[in-house]
Amino acid sequence: MILTASPDLQADIVHASPSVDASKSSVKASFDQVSKRFGMGPESVLALEPISLDIAENAFVCLVGPSGCGKSTLLNILAGFETATSGQALMDGVPVRGPDARRGVVFQQGALFTWMSVQDNVAFGPLATGKSPKEAAGIAAHYLEMVGLTSFARRYPYELSGGMQQRVGIARALANDPQILLMDEPFAALDAQTRELLQEEIKHIWQDSRKTVLWITHSIEEALFLATDIVVMTARPGRIKARLTPQFALSRDPAVVTSTEFVRMKADIFGMLREEALTAQRQEVMR
Amino acid sequence: MNTANSKSRRSSLINVGSFVTLLLMWWLVTAPFGDKPLVAPLFLPSPGSVWDTFLMLIKNGYQGKSLWFHLGISLFRFGLAFTITVLVAVPLGLWMGMNETVKAVLDPPIEISRPMPKLALLPLLIIWFGIGEVAKVVIIVLALFPILSISAMQAVRGVGQRKVQAAMALGASRTMIFRRVIFPASLPGIFTSIRVSIGIGVTMLVGAEMIATSAGIAFMAMSASDFLLTNVVIVGALIMASLGYSLDLCARALENRIVHWGGKEG
Repeated sequence: MILTASPDLQADIVHASPSVDASKSSVKASFDQVSKRFGMGPESVLALEPISLDIAENAFVCLVGPSGCGKSTLLNILAGFETATSGQALMDGVPVRGPDARRGVVFQQGALFTWMSVQDNVAFGPLATGKSPKEAAGIAAHYLEMVGLTSFARRYPYELSGGMQQRVGIARALANDPQILLMDEPFAALDAQTRELLQEEIKHIWQDSRKTVLWITHSIEEALFLATDIVVMTARPGRIKARLTPQFALSRDPAVVTSTEFVRMKADIFGMLREEALTAQRQEVMR
Repeated sequence: MNTANSKSRRSSLINVGSFVTLLLMWWLVTAPFGDKPLVAPLFLPSPGSVWDTFLMLIKNGYQGKSLWFHLGISLFRFGLAFTITVLVAVPLGLWMGMNETVKAVLDPPIEISRPMPKLALLPLLIIWFGIGEVAKVVIIVLALFPILSISAMQAVRGVGQRKVQAAMALGASRTMIFRRVIFPASLPGIFTSIRVSIGIGVTMLVGAEMIATSAGIAFMAMSASDFLLTNVVIVGALIMASLGYSLDLCARALENRIVHWGGKEG
């Protein structure tokens, strides 16, 4: 059982694949020879070597790589929080100049507005983008329902568990109906069970909305389970080491993680990442 | 929950016990066992006689002015100075936190004046403003200003970068980010410094009222000391203590109401 993919899964993939064919979809966002150097002079550190990467519309792209390889820097550059040392990030062919509401961001933790109720957190984006308070409240209610937090609308973030807080963060980012979601290790601080359930939820949300996603994670399984494209990065200075296109994101079967193909790809990526993690560790010791 | 409750009940029982013990010791050293008490009433009158003096002061006032007048004028000086400082220093501190240039301009005068004991300026202020209310209010403002402005600035600088980034990525304008993110996120820090400055403000008030005044609770205690009216001195000190304590209670109640999220992360 563990070594063979279920027939259901196969059917699922065949059924869903035409709509996600990368060659047919247009490029939503891209990195054009983006590099990043922190600091000046001899003390400076090259975080990213020039990287070029296209993110197709409707794709779910996962960046995996050892700590300090510049994954978050790359995401921050596309979000508009940081500027590239050379090259540029583009969205719909237009260079990114700063953060805006078309790119929703979800952080690992600590980004919710603690002084606002859950409802107000989610309504913040619609209000900021010019919706009336009434409209914003309606939108917030809709997305809170999507993440199953309707009954917590009047609570404050600190009254919620870590998993619920991340749901609020996701609902808040979705409430602006952004064209791309940038997610920086959104589940890294959660326990394993919560994490698995949220992964399934995110998968369903993505399957239903087909929103373009750039997702950063340390977890190979998470990447395989969710991504249509996995980009493996090297130790610092970050480069693209490999690009894979798993098909498991299209499956609705949680047991897909036990299929032969899944396990094989996991081993492949594990091998690549281990090599890079060791390099990263050596770099740390040398410093 | 239950254990926490019983624990806090135990603590408050001990609190009350400790307070009662102190009062009992005061009473014991001043009670006339044998022919005279351990400590002469001139140095430490008994709790009972202090209480009687308190009631008498309420009835007859002190030096032709009612106790309420003395208390009122003290509260007025403190309240005016405190309000002015909060209204000026906090917005200025917020501005310093938001704007590097403003910070560069205002940092030196504030930082240089911060370690200076402000009471040392009182003689100069009396030359400038006379012995009226202005000098007293100014000295309190001077003492509280650096505390409140610097902590408001630090509160702004301490606002989580991610919260600000999240707001930017949600499309918020600069004004909206300040009003709905940076300002509320700074409030817990500002409230902490408000509570600190209440204590310091009351201390400054007492200092200012002891020099060249004819009204106020600390003046009452100071002038009573000239006539060795120990009872009145103690009543004055206790009134000042409870003034500071009740102001802190008010600030704390306000803090719990307004910044209910303080110290909690989400």
